[in-house]
Amino acid sequence: MEKARPLWANPLQFVFACISYAVGLGNVWRFPYLCQMYGGGSFLVPYVIMLIVEGMPLLYLELAVGQRMRQGSIGAWRTISPYLGGVGLASVVVSFFLSTYYNIINAWAFWYLFHSFQDPLPWSVCPLNGNRTGYNEECETASSTQYFWYRKTLNIAPSIQDSGGVQWEQALCLILAWLVVYLCILRGTESTGKLEQLANPKAWINAATQIFFSLGLGFGSLIAFASYNQPSTNCQKHAIIVSLVNSSTSIFASIVTFSIYGFKATFNYESCLNKVILLLTNSFDLEDGFLTASNLEQVKGYLASAFPSRYSEVLPQMKNCSLESELATAVQGTGLSFIVYTEAIKNMAASQLWSVLYFFMLLMLGIGSMLGNTAAILTPLTDSKLISSHLPKEAISGLVCLVNCAIGLVFTTEAGNYWFDIFNDYAATLPLLLIVLVEIIAVCYVFGLRRFESDLKAMTGRTLNWYWKAMWAGVSPLLIISLFVFYLSDYILTGTLQYQAWDASQGQLVTKDYPLYALAVIGLLVAASTMCIPLVALGTFIVRCLKRGDTAPMA
Amino acid sequence: ISHVLVCNVTQRVSFWFVVTDPSKNHTLPAVEVQSAIRMNRNRINSAFFLNDQTLEFLKIPSTLAPPSDPSVPIWIIIFGVIFCIVIVAVMLLILSGIRQRRRMSKGPTEVDDSEDKCENTITIENGIPCDPLDTKGGHINDAFLTEDERLTPL
Repeated sequence: MEKARPLWANPLQFVFACISYAVGLGNVWRFPYLCQMYGGGSFLVPYVIMLIVEGMPLLYLELAVGQRMRQGSIGAWRTISPYLGGVGLASVVVSFFLSTYYNIINAWAFWYLFHSFQDPLPWSVCPLNGNRTGYNEECETASSTQYFWYRKTLNIAPSIQDSGGVQWEQALCLILAWLVVYLCILRGTESTGKLEQLANPKAWINAATQIFFSLGLGFGSLIAFASYNQPSTNCQKHAIIVSLVNSSTSIFASIVTFSIYGFKATFNYESCLNKVILLLTNSFDLEDGFLTASNLEQVKGYLASAFPSRYSEVLPQMKNCSLESELATAVQGTGLSFIVYTEAIKNMAASQLWSVLYFFMLLMLGIGSMLGNTAAILTPLTDSKLISSHLPKEAISGLVCLVNCAIGLVFTTEAGNYWFDIFNDYAATLPLLLIVLVEIIAVCYVFGLRRFESDLKAMTGRTLNWYWKAMWAGVSPLLIISLFVFYLSDYILTGTLQYQAWDASQGQLVTKDYPLYALAVIGLLVAASTMCIPLVALGTFIVRCLKRGDTAPMA
Repeated sequence: ISHVLVCNVTQRVSFWFVVTDPSKNHTLPAVEVQSAIRMNRNRINSAFFLNDQTLEFLKIPSTLAPPSDPSVPIWIIIFGVIFCIVIVAVMLLILSGIRQRRRMSKGPTEVDDSEDKCENTITIENGIPCDPLDTKGGHINDAFLTEDERLTPL
């Protein structure tokens, strides 16, 4: 008798697991950035349209496949067609890459969280230089938050070639992050669904991409989660709920982010003005309090005409303070979370409290997504009879966490952040598009849309709406193909790939070219997952041919 | 006050000064005055109720107070606490999982073992009450109960 598949205790647990997986750091740091780049509120139009046309149908498809096949991604696709086991394998490979580099973000969040219990916050003051007469030079040219991020946290090397040693502080935080993830996945399904307290053609393409990756399609996590569902679960309702919650979280996060931007911009603008006032007061021996923000321009004009020589000496040191330029600094990714937000937090009252709350939230988001990723890897492993007969579930989870942690130590070296950017930009983007495209074609044309429809009806008792059928069969594949073509052409047209390196002497980021071996790693990352699909198909074909060759003489 | 001469007064509260030595009747060299001010900066500031930001001595960089550096960085303490909690929780979960699995696999075999053992105790040590049998009976019941739970989802 087959061992019963573990089930979610109730549908709510499943929904919360999906939501905690889908709502991740991308909602906090990628979506507000896109809103800002593509016209603020008007970005919502392509975003919502892509959500309805692409996000929900694909999410529903993945959940339905998982619930129908009741297996992880590898088994599910092999059931649809033996040649398509490669799709599941590709999903697992991409999930593996993702879980390798994603947890370092949780490690950084832990690092900042532990440092939030000090007064003053360590990123709000610069350390002193050698003879204690001024502040550290790198900190002066950049800012204290940037210094804390690039020097104290990452201890970043000037380029990707100078890989220093492993930073033991980051390594410790990474190990802790993996222990927490292991703790959550140790008991399997039952423990991952815990309640959480949760015009421009480029605009359209970015909206489509954001929906795509924000929902976490193609990693196999959703299939894994849905495979633990009761067959009669109404996954259509859940698909809509999860995508709506994910999008509203993104929108809510961008409202908060924009108010933080405003606060930070205002504060920086005022301190910039104060610095200019101090500089002018000192250079021209003006009366204290004579220069204010309101009469600054007038006085500048007067000084330029009255003392032209001394004014021209002072002019290069004076910064042109402008609120617009402060607001226009749009940052995404780790720069947003760890630099911009910390800069805003350090200026608030009760900054330790805000800091602790903020990094705790980042941790919750990050670990929620990590659980989904590890579920995508573990479910096919525990499903496979070969492995689960030799090792208990705890040992498999432990091994996966250990391997990922060991590889993740690369990201704690001095050049680790550059490798992180490589993984972040290339490990998932292109392969996922291909995986989801193959998924949707497999379900609609290889398995047969009618067959899938009747299976779903038998399983859940509800007929499939014409809308889903139209989306699955026509619109979504076309959209994904066009996205895919766009990305490929973009990569080819831009020529050599470049990255941003931190220059300690200038106190800002500079653009550099990737060395050859980094480009090779990028190619390997993309190839490792995408090649699984044709290779496994080819392998299955060969095995079948051999079997047919063996059985033919007997027949 | 009689030995401090002020000159070159400007609109903002700023002035040049030299310090004379009454006994030798000449001005003290700037270097000596500078080092004296550096050492007594705090006294001079507090005499005027000012601080380093509001009272500046040109060419005398102020000695900045370094941020407090405790012997053990605070973050390691918090890290240690959370690390220990997580390790303990992992150990507990692993041990309870192993115990559950052992109870599951021993369930059917324990019945035979206990019967043999009971026979042994009766034959080897006559008259000793079969307390072990009673508790093992309790164990057996538990095992059957959990097996039932396993079956109902099917």
